Amino acid sequence: MGKLDVKMEKTPEKLVVRMAGTIDEDVDFSQFSLTGNPAIDVELSGLKSINSCGIREWIKWMGTASGAQISFSNCPKVIVDQINMVDGFLPASGKVNSFYVPYYNDEAGSEKNVLFRYGTEFTDSSVTPPESVKDEEGNDMEMDVIESKYFKFIKK
Amino acid sequence: MKKRGISIRYKILLLLTSLPLITLSVYLVLALQIFEEDKIAYVFDSSSNMSGTMAAQIKTQLNGVLGTTKPIFQEYLGQQKFSSVAESIFRNESDLEAVVVFSPNATGSLEKVALLEKVEGQTQGVLDSLQIPMAAYFSEVEKGRRIAKTPFNDDRVFILEKVTDETKTRTTVFLVIVRMSEAAEMFRSGVSQKIYLIGQDGSVLFGPDAMSGKRLQTLVAPAFLSGSAAQVAQGAETSKAVNGTELLVAYSRAGFGDLIVVTTVEKDKALGAVQILIRKSLIFFGILISLTVILSLFASSGITQALTQLFKATQKVAEGDFNIRVDVTSNDEVGSLADNFNIMAAEVSRLLEQTAEKARMESELQTAKTVQETLFPETRAKIGPLSIAGFYEPASECGGDWWHYCQIGNKIFLWIGDATGHGAPAALITSAAKSASTIIERLNISPAKALELLNRSIYDVSKGRIMMTFFLGSFDLETGEFVYCNASHEAPFLIKKTETTLKKKDLVPLNEVNNPRLGQARDSSYQQTSVQLDEGDSVFFYTDGIPDIQNPGKEAWGEREFIKALISAHKDQPEVGDSVDRFVLSFQGHRQGAPLIDDVTFFVVKREAVQ
Repeated sequence: MGKLDVKMEKTPEKLVVRMAGTIDEDVDFSQFSLTGNPAIDVELSGLKSINSCGIREWIKWMGTASGAQISFSNCPKVIVDQINMVDGFLPASGKVNSFYVPYYNDEAGSEKNVLFRYGTEFTDSSVTPPESVKDEEGNDMEMDVIESKYFKFIKK
Repeated sequence: MKKRGISIRYKILLLLTSLPLITLSVYLVLALQIFEEDKIAYVFDSSSNMSGTMAAQIKTQLNGVLGTTKPIFQEYLGQQKFSSVAESIFRNESDLEAVVVFSPNATGSLEKVALLEKVEGQTQGVLDSLQIPMAAYFSEVEKGRRIAKTPFNDDRVFILEKVTDETKTRTTVFLVIVRMSEAAEMFRSGVSQKIYLIGQDGSVLFGPDAMSGKRLQTLVAPAFLSGSAAQVAQGAETSKAVNGTELLVAYSRAGFGDLIVVTTVEKDKALGAVQILIRKSLIFFGILISLTVILSLFASSGITQALTQLFKATQKVAEGDFNIRVDVTSNDEVGSLADNFNIMAAEVSRLLEQTAEKARMESELQTAKTVQETLFPETRAKIGPLSIAGFYEPASECGGDWWHYCQIGNKIFLWIGDATGHGAPAALITSAAKSASTIIERLNISPAKALELLNRSIYDVSKGRIMMTFFLGSFDLETGEFVYCNASHEAPFLIKKTETTLKKKDLVPLNEVNNPRLGQARDSSYQQTSVQLDEGDSVFFYTDGIPDIQNPGKEAWGEREFIKALISAHKDQPEVGDSVDRFVLSFQGHRQGAPLIDDVTFFVVKREAVQ
């Protein structure tokens, strides 16, 4: 079994791609064709990491989607960081439907990933975080990112 | 090298020859011993049979003589003289030469009282010549009933028979002189074994020539003539002759007086077959050992030839020549050993080449590392109001990170980049970036234009295979304006001077513009923007290797700890050198000596107050 697990479900309307694991220099996206699909849903909740070589392969792979509308769901922080940092990581026709925002409580040592959904917690130009996020013990949690950096892709 | 001992060839030869030699020798000794014992037993058995047969025969003949003369004795005892019947019987027995009767006289001595003889007057002469022995004979016959003697060493036997009347008051001794030529001839005719008829005192009655009349003890003194064996009827023993020859002696008592038949055989002659067997066995052994040696030579040559090849080959290997190969065609263990040796030598040779190649590459990497270190600036600098302090540690000999600063006119250009991956390929790209930057610095152009040129340079070098994230900013020494252009690099943090406690929200990422990575496309255009740096403001530039720093348990430092360390390092507006040292201490505390998984580069610039 490779480091990256990709499952693809193709329907006439769209292609659903579920990815889990690690994207690095060993990844071979050529076996997962994105061409010929009007729309592509990419589900990324299982993705653990991506390095600079993996980014290069990712951008090449996304370039093969031939202008399909690509929506990304359940993006983990590693993906959001790359979207913010690497120009072209999010294809021109790409849109983030939902992504995780890490929260933590330093004193309790608790951590949680809160899913921000398009139309609810964020729009094309703004972010409306939940008023409060609490851990399982009811402790208030704070956002574990620098907001001006993490939500940069929304405010483009 | 240890001194070489006896060759294995000679050891095999020694083993193959000594083994049959020892085995056959032991077999021969045991076989000969058994054979000799068996032969002696056989000789004893046959000699005993011979002596027993002869004893029975001589007893029969002597008893036959007495049986013939008994009527004569009875005639005489009845009439006290020889009757005509007695004379007739006497005359009819040709072997009888005389019958002489002795009776005690008034003094008790035996004297001749009657005589029958074939030749008139002959017997008296004989008796006269035997006066002394006859006295001894009479003494002997007094002790026993009858005796037999051969006083003249010829075939005449003197048989003395004592007869006592019923009242036991009168004793008569009859002397029968009989010629026993056939019996004497029987004892003379022994060839391989000698046969003697002797008395208990060892005197020989009949035997081989020159022994009659002598005592057997002059030849050999067997034990049965004395001691407890004197009463044993038949037996055999080994005795040493007077001349030192070992004899196998068998005897049988005749049962007539004290007569004994003795046979002697020289042991050497009796065991002549054993000597023949030894000689033939030795010849056979010699042939067998010779064949064994010849076959062993061939066999050991076959084995040791291959081993010798291997030995010489290992000597070559010991001298460092791993290209040696052995040519052994056998399919046995030695052949397999040779094959394995060849494989091993080839593998060692290959590994040595690999090791040499690796050493060469490591040497080249060390050289590259030395060269790459020249690409980096002094880690501490102050240009005008701008203080600069930095840190760089590659994950391997060469790294893909690069940072740099330079003054162009009244501007300080600050460069930081991170090539795809790390190691030598990435380091080559940083080298290209450094070379290009050296030229670009002379052009006095904006950061965006500079990155456009740098992008072309990187693209032309790597052909899109290796890219580089990059951040380039220029600080205006007069106005404090900081113009920057980002090519998908980690956005540096602007740390504004604050009178309150530094918080996370006070970290301003310089991410207002972003552009494609260098080397992604040749004609990419780059945008830039600016921000004002006031006195006391700092900017923290870094690469993405910092949050990825792992401890020995493979746990990444993470962005949260990275931000905390960044805030902690700048909480009291320290000098840039101090903030760098504090930050290094923070991540080294997490790292605990674990190897880096990515290059770590960061530097801090701070606009100091103008003095």
